[in-house]
Amino acid sequence: MVEGGRALEVLAAVRDRHPIVMHGVSLSIGSTDALNRNYLRELRALARRFEPAWISDHLCWTGVGGHNLHDLLPLPYTEEVVRHVSARIRRVQDILERHILIENVSSYMSFRDSTLSEWEFLRAVAEEADCGILLDINNIFVSAFNHRFSAQEYIDAIPVERVVQYHLAGHSDHGTHLLDTHDHPIRDEVWSLYEHAVRRFGAVSTLIEWDDNIPEFRVLAEAAERARQIYVGIARDGADHHESSAQAHPESAPSAHHRA
Amino acid sequence: MNLPLKHIQSLLHRLITAPSGVAEGLAVERSLPSGGLESVIRGDDRLSPEERVGIYANMYFYRLLEILQEDFRATAAVLAETRFHNLITGYLIEYPPTEPSVIWAGRYLSDFLRDHPLRNEYPFVADLAALERATIDVFCAADAPALDAAAMSAIPAERWASLKMRTVPAAAILRAEWKVADVLRAVEEKRDWVVPTRSRLRILVWRHNSLVSYRELDDGEADALEMLRRGATFGKVCEVLARDVPEERAPQEINRRLAQWIGDGILTLVPPKRRK
Repeated sequence: MVEGGRALEVLAAVRDRHPIVMHGVSLSIGSTDALNRNYLRELRALARRFEPAWISDHLCWTGVGGHNLHDLLPLPYTEEVVRHVSARIRRVQDILERHILIENVSSYMSFRDSTLSEWEFLRAVAEEADCGILLDINNIFVSAFNHRFSAQEYIDAIPVERVVQYHLAGHSDHGTHLLDTHDHPIRDEVWSLYEHAVRRFGAVSTLIEWDDNIPEFRVLAEAAERARQIYVGIARDGADHHESSAQAHPESAPSAHHRA
Repeated sequence: MNLPLKHIQSLLHRLITAPSGVAEGLAVERSLPSGGLESVIRGDDRLSPEERVGIYANMYFYRLLEILQEDFRATAAVLAETRFHNLITGYLIEYPPTEPSVIWAGRYLSDFLRDHPLRNEYPFVADLAALERATIDVFCAADAPALDAAAMSAIPAERWASLKMRTVPAAAILRAEWKVADVLRAVEEKRDWVVPTRSRLRILVWRHNSLVSYRELDDGEADALEMLRRGATFGKVCEVLARDVPEERAPQEINRRLAQWIGDGILTLVPPKRRK
């Protein structure tokens, strides 16, 4: 967030033509530091100015002790942490005067203390905080490989009415682990998972994240078209569950925003 | 085990930011549970707990290094890869990021360089980093309506002397001891840079139509702009602009400066106070 200049100018120009959503990486909702009130005030001001369809951030922590690691670090999946995070999400939602979405992150470590699976944790937090879910399909795939769980089982456990947006992205394969790098084409296995998700959750908004090694626009457009074909095909089959979720979160999931 | 979340996060923070890597961080760690890192983080046949934390440690450093290399291209070019890498290692220990946006990560790099041993070999490098940082600050500074020629012409001449103008928020005046603008320009234009000459000077950095520019100021212009920033009337500013030129050339000099400032988009009018 900046005070002025080109970034805001471009955002205003885009907003004049299109609906937008706001996606953050710095909420640090799982941190044990106090919520950053200045950041939240600035975020609220930005949201009042640009009226995004929804605001999302990650289910993680990004720093502690007043220091920011600028990374999305996983949490121990316990009931105690569910209570900690969901209470903070509720406070954030009060300050922002709206429901937010929380996104599952890619992770490279897990905690001995965890007593819940990641999907149980995500579900519990979303329900206790009464917030939406931004389901990052690539992150599920990456974490499923890194921690040896079933990506499909994960998706099948997420409450349908909470899912408001998908993220798709590419990742890099380091042999021993996958890294969520947003710098490769989306892998076929991730596309299959996406199809599985769309069958379950319906054709909610999809965003393709590609922010390094950015290809020609044609390549990105083809990926967006592939996503569109998947959900158009499934919607045609009559599997549009999304109407019910739009009713659950009318302010955060306009039905007119279903596009990749 | 059930360690408090704060304890886990503080431990991971120390290990991820340990300057010589997770292994050395572990070696000096005093609040590790008796079972070691293995009792906090799961390992498996592919990666040990230490290696898993190491993934985050590498990402922490290299993400910030990459960002700072982009923010300080000329400083990085002058120091070359290894010295810049080592500089950032030390910088992140002294000034770890505290703000939500990475745009602020390099805010104190020029301060850090002022007392750094690299200054013996590259005495101008702190000024160079300050100039590069100023271009970022100006790029994202608050917007303000720039005074244009038509608006200035519409103001009756008898009001000019008492007129209060300011420089826009996206205009900064930097004090330097080296002519580092030449170095930055050379790097931006992909030319070979040369060691700058030493000269106490001020540099104007400003944004106009989304583009950031910079140029050295002579003393008269620098003093005049600094007076504007402090709230002086245009009449007082004119006195400074006329200071170093023969009296008969003063009006011409004032017009020239004013036209340049308006063209650069660095002036904004201070609205008159409402009368009660």
